[in-house]
Amino acid sequence: MSLEQRQLLADTLQRLFSDHAQPQSAVSESWNAALWRQLDEMGLPLLMVGEDAGGYGGSWEDAGVVAHAIGRHAVALPLAEVVIAQALAVRCRLGDDTSADTGPLGLAVTSAGTLEPLCAGRVCFTGTLHGVPWGRHLGAVLAVVEHAGVSHLLRLPCAAASVREGQNPAGEPRDRLSFVAVDAAACTSEAAPARELLYQGALWRVGQIAGALDAVLERSVDHVRDRVQFGKPIGSFQAVQQQMAVFGAEAAAVGCAAAAACRSATLGDARFEIAAAKLRANLAIDSATSVAHQVHGAIGFTREHDLRHFTQRLLAWRSEFGNDRHWSEALGRAVIARGVDNFWADLTARGDAAAVTHE
Amino acid sequence: MTLPRFDTVTLPAGTAAWRAEVRAFMATHAAGLAAERRANAWSVFDAPFSRRLGERGWIGLTWPKRYGGAERSALERYVLLEELLAAGAPVGAHWIADRQSGPALLRYGSEAQRQRFLPAIARGECFFCIGMSEPGAGSDLAAVRTQAVRRGDGWVLRGQKLWTTHAHRAHMMIALVRSAPAGDKRHEGLSQFLVDLASPGVTVRPIVDLAGEVHFNEVFLDDVPVPADMLLGVEGQGWAQCTSELSLERSGPERYLSSHALFVEWLRHEAAQGAVGEAVCNAIGQLTAELWTLRQMSLSVAARLAAGQDPALEAAIVKDLGNSFEQALPRRVQALLGDGRSLDGDLPLARVLSLLLQISPSFSLRGGTREILRGIIARGLGLR
Repeated sequence: MSLEQRQLLADTLQRLFSDHAQPQSAVSESWNAALWRQLDEMGLPLLMVGEDAGGYGGSWEDAGVVAHAIGRHAVALPLAEVVIAQALAVRCRLGDDTSADTGPLGLAVTSAGTLEPLCAGRVCFTGTLHGVPWGRHLGAVLAVVEHAGVSHLLRLPCAAASVREGQNPAGEPRDRLSFVAVDAAACTSEAAPARELLYQGALWRVGQIAGALDAVLERSVDHVRDRVQFGKPIGSFQAVQQQMAVFGAEAAAVGCAAAAACRSATLGDARFEIAAAKLRANLAIDSATSVAHQVHGAIGFTREHDLRHFTQRLLAWRSEFGNDRHWSEALGRAVIARGVDNFWADLTARGDAAAVTHE
Repeated sequence: MTLPRFDTVTLPAGTAAWRAEVRAFMATHAAGLAAERRANAWSVFDAPFSRRLGERGWIGLTWPKRYGGAERSALERYVLLEELLAAGAPVGAHWIADRQSGPALLRYGSEAQRQRFLPAIARGECFFCIGMSEPGAGSDLAAVRTQAVRRGDGWVLRGQKLWTTHAHRAHMMIALVRSAPAGDKRHEGLSQFLVDLASPGVTVRPIVDLAGEVHFNEVFLDDVPVPADMLLGVEGQGWAQCTSELSLERSGPERYLSSHALFVEWLRHEAAQGAVGEAVCNAIGQLTAELWTLRQMSLSVAARLAAGQDPALEAAIVKDLGNSFEQALPRRVQALLGDGRSLDGDLPLARVLSLLLQISPSFSLRGGTREILRGIIARGLGLR
């Protein structure tokens, strides 16, 4: 998309989510069918499917805008996972979006089980998918299963699953789907799809985290300006200002990291940048959620106040698609493997390469 | 409220080649620098090195050619600076002149002042220091009491400056002084003067810092005569002129690379130990993520400055985050280094660690203290 188109998309989503997705409606038990229909009609699930396959042909920078909007408005739908799954399914020629699915195509992050090859492109799968985002509402799900030393990407029909409902700390559905001898489309052409899913999911979460941090920051600024104690807004006390400054700086850092990682992913291999951005986002969640709840006081701690819709998601998303330990180890190993004399050169090289491509 | 903006930057075409050129220079002209000399590199005063950089046209890189500059872009300058700092080049002598005194002259100086000082700065021959803080005026800069009193055609300066970095080795000082009584606002009545430190009445007394080094000074001004043509800019506009320098001063790579030499030595040390354990590996990863992010943020501000904007909120954020990062780094390394006992004190790693542990408290004090920066950020967010 051009910059103008991307801005138009951002504005459209802003309006759409403001109308449809009041944080109060972001509750795990319900499925916002009306909003999903609108997203579907916009073609958003196909955001990163190529134009020749009927999609938007969107880049990671386009995805970043959508991710930010989802986070900013606490949208209770698996749009991120569906976009990833749709793009992957099309790339691997795994079935058709107009097949008899009773719901969207989603993504499993953790899968275990066995499979029996049936014929070309089909297997019989028995196993369990854990922590599937919105599993109970999906029509089909992509899962990566190892078999005979080869990674298989499966497309499983959810109608054939037995579902055990679960949730993350934000109340977002994270369900366990069990399959017994289910016939599924399969593909082995993707190299290390599990790792790719992890990086893609992490990059979406970075954008969502950035959006949620902006929402929390705005609410916190409004609150400290409105809340009067000791005859003045609590935001006029230095203790509050200093904390809010720390929070603001952290939120800004994540916004920057998200944009930079999306730019790198648009231009090529961005595993380093995605790892750095997700880790940086994880670190920010710590002080941001703490300060937000501190300045809101008791009222922010109620079920009724909408602060929790954002802070609980932030707390949950810190461990999704890689927690601090995972990404700091991945980055650390990468830096050590390249050696100290390459450290600075590597850090600067990618941006320099982008300069040439952009010319 | 205003959300801070850190847009992604595209570096100019040709950046890779430019960067390689700077690295080649460093390999020749700054090889064999001791690790602790490479730490906090932009404070290290080395007049011959500055002259060598000046000879290459690498001081005042963005200035007009008629003033000795190379008319290159601000982002190219950024690349130059980050390469020099990452390698630990001793750029302290010309740093202030290049970063803010020269730009102040370009912005507010008379043609005569520009002609007199800019080419000399660009050659790496004329060094400047910042005469702002006083015993009674640190964070509260508007409380300066050094006076400029008219005498004949010119002025006479009376007072004292404090914490003036490199005043003992610089040629010129840009002093913020009170030239008229404060009006309704304390910021009124302040002016900036270009003070020749060789003038009669100037006494510079070095202050030894806790690491045993001399960087900053007391500067006593006892009826120092200053010609009228050494007023910088407009009389009474000193405050506005000063504050316009701040975004430049706050957001650059020097604000998060002060401990980089230690990070490098530490990486080298850990790699030499054999297998790296999880705690060290993860700390390296985390520091890398923070450093990568800071660089993106700093670049973003540089691009906006280059476009003629004044992103004061973003600059304050970069400095605050950067200072916290570079300040914490020595302690984080120390906490992970072996068992704390077995490191040989003569090793470069030990020396640079020792130095940075001692001087890192200053990182959140110099150039805008943490609490003030956070007040600025809070204001930028709309809290005040």
